[in-house]
Amino acid sequence: MSPESIERERLDADVLIVGAGPAGLACALHLANLIRKHNESGAQPPLSADNIYVLEKAREPGAHQLSGAVLDPRGLSELVPDFEKHAPLDSPVTDDAAYFLTRSRAWKFPITPPPLRNRGNYVVSLNRLVKWMAGLVEQASVNLFTQFAGAEIIYDGETVAGVITEDKGRDKDGKPKENFTPGYELRAKVTVLAEGPRGSLTKDLVSRLHLDGLNPQAYAIGIKELWEVPAGRIASGAVWHTMGWPLDSSLHGGGWLYGMRENRVSVGLVASLEYHDPRFDPHEAFQRYKTHPHLRRVLEGGTLVRFGAKTIPEGGWYSMPRPYADGVLLIGDSASFLNGQRLKGIHLAIKSGMLAAETILETLRTGDASARTLSSFQKKVDESWIKKELWPVRNFHQGFEHGLYAGLFNTALQMVTGGRGLVDPMRIRPGYEEYHKLAPGAPAAPPRFAGDGKLTFDRLTDVYHSGTRHEEDQPCHLHVADTNICADRCTVEYGNPCQYFCPAAVYEIARTAGALRLKINASNCVHCKTCDIADPYQIITWVPPEGGGGPNYEGM
Amino acid sequence: MKILVATEQFAGAWNKTSWETLAAGQQIAAETNGHLAALVIGKGVAPLADELASAKLDEVFLVEHDLLATYTPDGFKIALAQAIAEAKPDLVLFPHTYQVRDFAPQLAASLGKGMIGDCVGYRVENGRLIFVRQMFQGRTAADVSFEGAGPWFASLQAGAFRGDNVARGAAKAPVKRIAVKLEAAQIRTKPAERFQETKQAVDLTQAPVLVAVGRGIKAPENIPLAAQLAKALGGELCASRPICDEGWLPMDRQVGSSGQTVAPKLYLALGISGAIQHVVGMKGARTIVAINKDEHAPIFEVADYGIVGDIFEMIPAVTKELENTKA
Repeated sequence: MSPESIERERLDADVLIVGAGPAGLACALHLANLIRKHNESGAQPPLSADNIYVLEKAREPGAHQLSGAVLDPRGLSELVPDFEKHAPLDSPVTDDAAYFLTRSRAWKFPITPPPLRNRGNYVVSLNRLVKWMAGLVEQASVNLFTQFAGAEIIYDGETVAGVITEDKGRDKDGKPKENFTPGYELRAKVTVLAEGPRGSLTKDLVSRLHLDGLNPQAYAIGIKELWEVPAGRIASGAVWHTMGWPLDSSLHGGGWLYGMRENRVSVGLVASLEYHDPRFDPHEAFQRYKTHPHLRRVLEGGTLVRFGAKTIPEGGWYSMPRPYADGVLLIGDSASFLNGQRLKGIHLAIKSGMLAAETILETLRTGDASARTLSSFQKKVDESWIKKELWPVRNFHQGFEHGLYAGLFNTALQMVTGGRGLVDPMRIRPGYEEYHKLAPGAPAAPPRFAGDGKLTFDRLTDVYHSGTRHEEDQPCHLHVADTNICADRCTVEYGNPCQYFCPAAVYEIARTAGALRLKINASNCVHCKTCDIADPYQIITWVPPEGGGGPNYEGM
Repeated sequence: MKILVATEQFAGAWNKTSWETLAAGQQIAAETNGHLAALVIGKGVAPLADELASAKLDEVFLVEHDLLATYTPDGFKIALAQAIAEAKPDLVLFPHTYQVRDFAPQLAASLGKGMIGDCVGYRVENGRLIFVRQMFQGRTAADVSFEGAGPWFASLQAGAFRGDNVARGAAKAPVKRIAVKLEAAQIRTKPAERFQETKQAVDLTQAPVLVAVGRGIKAPENIPLAAQLAKALGGELCASRPICDEGWLPMDRQVGSSGQTVAPKLYLALGISGAIQHVVGMKGARTIVAINKDEHAPIFEVADYGIVGDIFEMIPAVTKELENTKA
């Protein structure tokens, strides 16, 4: 059965939002509020929040949400002014500290650098915050469809006309099973892509319509564990950020440890996907990170509750794709609304969603969803505090291209020149071009990190703690364009970095009858998208698996 | 405490988990000095009621009606509500089947009562009955109890109790027929043809002995070795995910978090490292024997007997020994 010959049920919406994260839900909620005011004012035509559809691939809202997270309430306070009364905010930040780590020492910065100051912010579980937002969105009578992913964009020429959801009930070979249900054809006047980092539809749209920003997007991978530790180890609301070990100075990244309520601790490591050593293993680096005496004394004797991994778009203003085209807007992480210097994006995601909602209301009033009308979104962004916040740090990430020390120098210079620094705009190349090839006769890779099962873990144990689950009998959702490259070229040139960068042990080079081949354990996938980003040949395409599949980031 | 076990049958044949639920009912009744009854619902199921009556219990209820010939949620809900009104139990136990998942919560809610679903165990603490449910994919267990007056409802996970533990009664228990009022108009759904799930050639949950192979088996050519051993032990062959993923064995033989959960008498793990994803599917086995050449393999943490060795030496030797003993 070819996709073309399938008869699909069609639904028509005013607005279709792909992705129920902070951006997508803020857009839906703000639009529903605007529509209510519009109707109350008696303005024409009458509009209805029923005609807003939100798609979410997770089993339930929030299940795929992963962040540190420290929330700057600026966006949320505009969206839900009395949020402090209702939102599940874990703890107000009570103490923040920045450290530089060497292998065995931790040097506290005498003053916390301004971008890492978090007084007035909240330590939150993004999972819980988003679940709460989803509740508000549903109360506002928006239709939120969980367990449905956007699989394909419907184009009318160059106009985005909606999205086709994924087919359900296909077997490994793509053949329909008894429970086969074709994806729905959801058509909308305006489609909003709020897929998070490296959205699969966003990737298709940006390349098809050439919406790329000045720089390619720069990504990092963030790996996180949620722990329950013995009482008294760290105050709830304590926020630590670290630089240095275990990342060497050529790597851009850092770690965090946040104290939460009920003796929970959020600990994680972020590493830029622009490293040179193709055998660098971010998961292993994170595991080693926890063994640093400074962190060990918090975690030791505690238990691992959850694990997760997600990519972070760090490129900033110059990596932003044009966030509008005919019939479509891009918001949140999909459109680079993230401040890499402050390591924060939730507030920007929310604000971008709200500005998109204001833009959409105009198009619903006039019925004109052309790129010309939707370009007012860009104007609103430019006039808002989003640009005020992102513009001065527009060269921040690029400044670290030559390592930590150059980065700190550039940052200092940028801070006194309003972001200009030495070069403006600073350009970067995509991270996958940064790999150094293995030298001929390079030593064999050392055995993989096993962990002690108490403080540190191997990848499969962590995958288990991500709660990820997929229907096993479905087509592989990781498309590798040419698997011959893996065994023939990649093994020799790069030693198959997919085995190392994937934190969920999805990729494995198996030896059968003496020959190497790529084996994909797709059901381990935690939807972080690292493979799609970091593969040196750019032949891996991540597409959404059957809806409902993926991690369960309860409490993360 | 008055306990009522609601059994499940299809076309006059037992759903085997009914007996597991009855075993649980007997245990709870013994511990609480309770009264135990069992119930059969359907049409033409009197022989099943008779069979139940030989078990150790106080009475059997037979609920029959033309409109109960095939399962409908409305029909079963209405009929059982009437049966419960007559039998007046404090606790109604169900096997946690697809059918029960469909109608039992409705039944409980329609009576304004709570239901604890998918329980794996129970205990009695100071006269209070506490059920145990798995949470976070079996990583942790929660104690749940009822508040307020009965009847309370609970369903039990397949394999949590052993059907072969059902005690037989000294004499046959009386079978009492409960007449229910049911009209076609009350049934809002029309049963279609029974949905056949992908053919399950094998039901691993029912096998007393399982021989499981993992990555250590190395190649599909070696599978028959393990199959032969399974045959010699009178058991079934199963595998960890990588083996089924490779297509060396069909997916319905996969044990673990994305496959089946099993609790056989004997589980023989051959070349299985013991990743947590596999262990959660088999840790309930009564006896676990693991053979692995890596002495640090985590499977040894859950194994009752561990052999550090080469499965290709061990399998043929054990198979031969078993076959000799039989011959």
